[in-house]
Amino acid sequence: MTTGLIFDREFLLHEQSPSHPERRERLSYTIDQIEEAGLFHHPRIRVSRPPRATREQVERVHHPEYVRFLEEASRRGGFIDFDTVVPRGLLDCALLAAGGALHAGISVWKGDFTNAFALVRPPGHHARAGTGAGFCYLNNMAIMVRHLQHEGVRKVLVLDWDAHHGDGTQSIFYADPSVLFTSIHQKPLYPGSGDIDETGEGPGLGYTVNMPVPPGTGDVSYHYLFDTVIAPLAREFSPDIIAISAGQDVHFTDPLTGLAVSARGYAELVRKAVMLADSICNGKLVAVLEGGYSVEGGLPYTNLGIIAALAGLPLESIREPAGYQEILLRATDPSAHERVCQTAGELRKLLAPHWNSFS
Amino acid sequence: MLIGMDVGGTNTDVAFVDGETASIKVPNSAGIDTALSRISRPGRLAVSTSTPLNHLLAERDRKIVTILIPGMGLFYEGGMKGAVNHCGDIVEDIDRDEIDRFLRANPADAVAIAGKFSVRNPALEMAAAECACRYFPKERIALSHPLAVLDFPARIVTTRLNARIREEAFRLVSLIGQRKKDFLFFRGDGGLTTPENVLKDPSVLYNSSPAAVALGVHYLTGLKDCLAVDIGGTTTDLVPLEKGIPCTEELVYGGERTVTRVVKAESLPFGGDSVIADSIEPKRDGNALAFGGRLPTLTDALNRAGYEIGDFRASLSLRLEHAEKAVDDYCSIVAAAVAAHDPPKIAGCGYLAPILVPEIARRARKPFVIPPHAACANAVGVAVSRVSLTLFAHFDGGRGRVVMNGETGKIDRVGDDDELVAICTAEVKRRALAAGADPRDLDDIRVLHCSSFDVVRGSFRTSRIADIVVQVAPGITAEAR
Repeated sequence: MTTGLIFDREFLLHEQSPSHPERRERLSYTIDQIEEAGLFHHPRIRVSRPPRATREQVERVHHPEYVRFLEEASRRGGFIDFDTVVPRGLLDCALLAAGGALHAGISVWKGDFTNAFALVRPPGHHARAGTGAGFCYLNNMAIMVRHLQHEGVRKVLVLDWDAHHGDGTQSIFYADPSVLFTSIHQKPLYPGSGDIDETGEGPGLGYTVNMPVPPGTGDVSYHYLFDTVIAPLAREFSPDIIAISAGQDVHFTDPLTGLAVSARGYAELVRKAVMLADSICNGKLVAVLEGGYSVEGGLPYTNLGIIAALAGLPLESIREPAGYQEILLRATDPSAHERVCQTAGELRKLLAPHWNSFS
Repeated sequence: MLIGMDVGGTNTDVAFVDGETASIKVPNSAGIDTALSRISRPGRLAVSTSTPLNHLLAERDRKIVTILIPGMGLFYEGGMKGAVNHCGDIVEDIDRDEIDRFLRANPADAVAIAGKFSVRNPALEMAAAECACRYFPKERIALSHPLAVLDFPARIVTTRLNARIREEAFRLVSLIGQRKKDFLFFRGDGGLTTPENVLKDPSVLYNSSPAAVALGVHYLTGLKDCLAVDIGGTTTDLVPLEKGIPCTEELVYGGERTVTRVVKAESLPFGGDSVIADSIEPKRDGNALAFGGRLPTLTDALNRAGYEIGDFRASLSLRLEHAEKAVDDYCSIVAAAVAAHDPPKIAGCGYLAPILVPEIARRARKPFVIPPHAACANAVGVAVSRVSLTLFAHFDGGRGRVVMNGETGKIDRVGDDDELVAICTAEVKRRALAAGADPRDLDDIRVLHCSSFDVVRGSFRTSRIADIVVQVAPGITAEAR
């Protein structure tokens, strides 16, 4: 069993502006944590550098006009929205991030790695076919999925666990029954979409599954949603590969969100996904880094927990400082779980016409 | 005058390099002190002492306990309270009572103390060492933060290794220091370092013979690409040289990774003192018969072939056919190993090299050279080596802190990368000069790593963090050229 870590020091170079929250130290600190944990040398882990994604691979997802805009804006600098400016040289960084996701996916599909984690920047899940948004330029996840399908994969299950709704990925696959897009995200929060009644359209109706959760939601609710919504759907959908949009802004120390997931809780969730992949698609699972902004708090070791879960290391040992318990208690809303259960019940009713698991 | 001393398994070799080269061999039975007493000339003394340390490390009956402070992320069995985060902040204090209880319940010969991210802030390791001082003298306490490298599992293994040999390192420093006030140690990666640095990380002394041979061969022959074949008493080491330098690799101790670098070599378990039964055996049991030993060895076999090494008449009890077979088998084994490396040329070292290497070269179909002073090439390599050191620096402007090789200092501001590299270069030069480096060796400082980023708080850039690694690389000192 081998877990691939897809990483290139060039991922550290991208910077929208010196004070933007999607900044290089997000990954620098994580790399420090991985180095200090010795995981770059672990016998079950192999580090691999990706090639850049090609124009052809990118344009399977994005409009050529948008890619040309990025190319032009990358020369002189440009603007998409107040969260997403285009610094000079952006396209090279974005193509490498997309290449990272793609390399992770194809390596797992071909059996070079059992599973993989693409530690890429900039993130991608808010990027739509024709525009970037929310710190994202190219939709790394969607580019990977389309490339996998080009290489013979039929069905992909996407688990978007970033605290923000993966609206870009949802829009790209909204009418596509070959990709089951599921998302757990905080609501209300940017971008505002991701209600339970957004379930897809046309042939893709029933293949978009949104699980909005209130601020203060913690481990118990995330595991409840996995067990009662995601796992039954996954078994019925029977994908060829599972792809996780791994945003670590669900951690209780994240400054941009209000959730209460712990590092171990998140790692256990990834382990459940690994076990699910084992049971339905020969263990083929790939994770792509999205958000996570608690650079001086939980982000580095939450990322480490994901790697540990993928590599089958003991998660009982994932530990947070005793002093952080108080922050976790403050972040937790005890009433959140009841609301999550209620939403999940309504969601299952909405999906019942499309899935035997819920009928 | 450059003086090199290499304490081997059987003999201590001493080389004097001052335009010309001279060398002597002193049997270890006479003691290191005797060899030191033979060094009366003034000059820079460098000492390679890997063999006694190697023996000590082979002893498994020493009990080492480890105080592990794994902090955040992956925890470790037996881990104790306390956490330093990736920024070097203490986010959880150690529990002194917990450490006390652990040390009371686990009596041992020495203690290793290793904390995650201690290289960013050594305070918790230091506090744990204060607790350990009640149970162990300082010579038997090893800490992980001076190792400077981010790699907690490898630092744990290295710190355990250091706990095992640190007391012996103190003894050697004291013993040599009594005879010669200023001296340097030769490291396993081929550079020289100070006794103070060795006491912080004695693992650098481990397995230094291949590095000594490599530098010696390059100095004595001028060959840049070759395979050094060093025939010692216990082993025959094959050390490849490429472009005049040996390759280094991570030292693996007890099957586990360390952070220590050593010169890459293939060690065959046969040498001049290997015992002969029906043929040559991969073991040593004291000296050859010709040197007062009780069992015949490869050296005695050569005497039976007509050479006159030591008290050669004492070798007569070895049967001739056993002697011939032993020499034949030895040459075949070494020739096969040499051929596998496929070097352009081989350079023979060690006392028996002039006798055995021509035959080994013939069988391996390789040209060979036996340099002058081949018997003491290792000591020559030690003598001509240069002071080298690596500086790991972590600058954190927001905390006003710089950590250099595990030691914390204060800093007012963190400038741009060029400025920081200049600071580190000046610092590594200052440290190297203080350690006795030849100024001409400091022209070429290598920047091995440089990364930095801005720290943003509340949407404002408040400070910078930078990691820089600079090195005075190992090699031959300008003074010897």
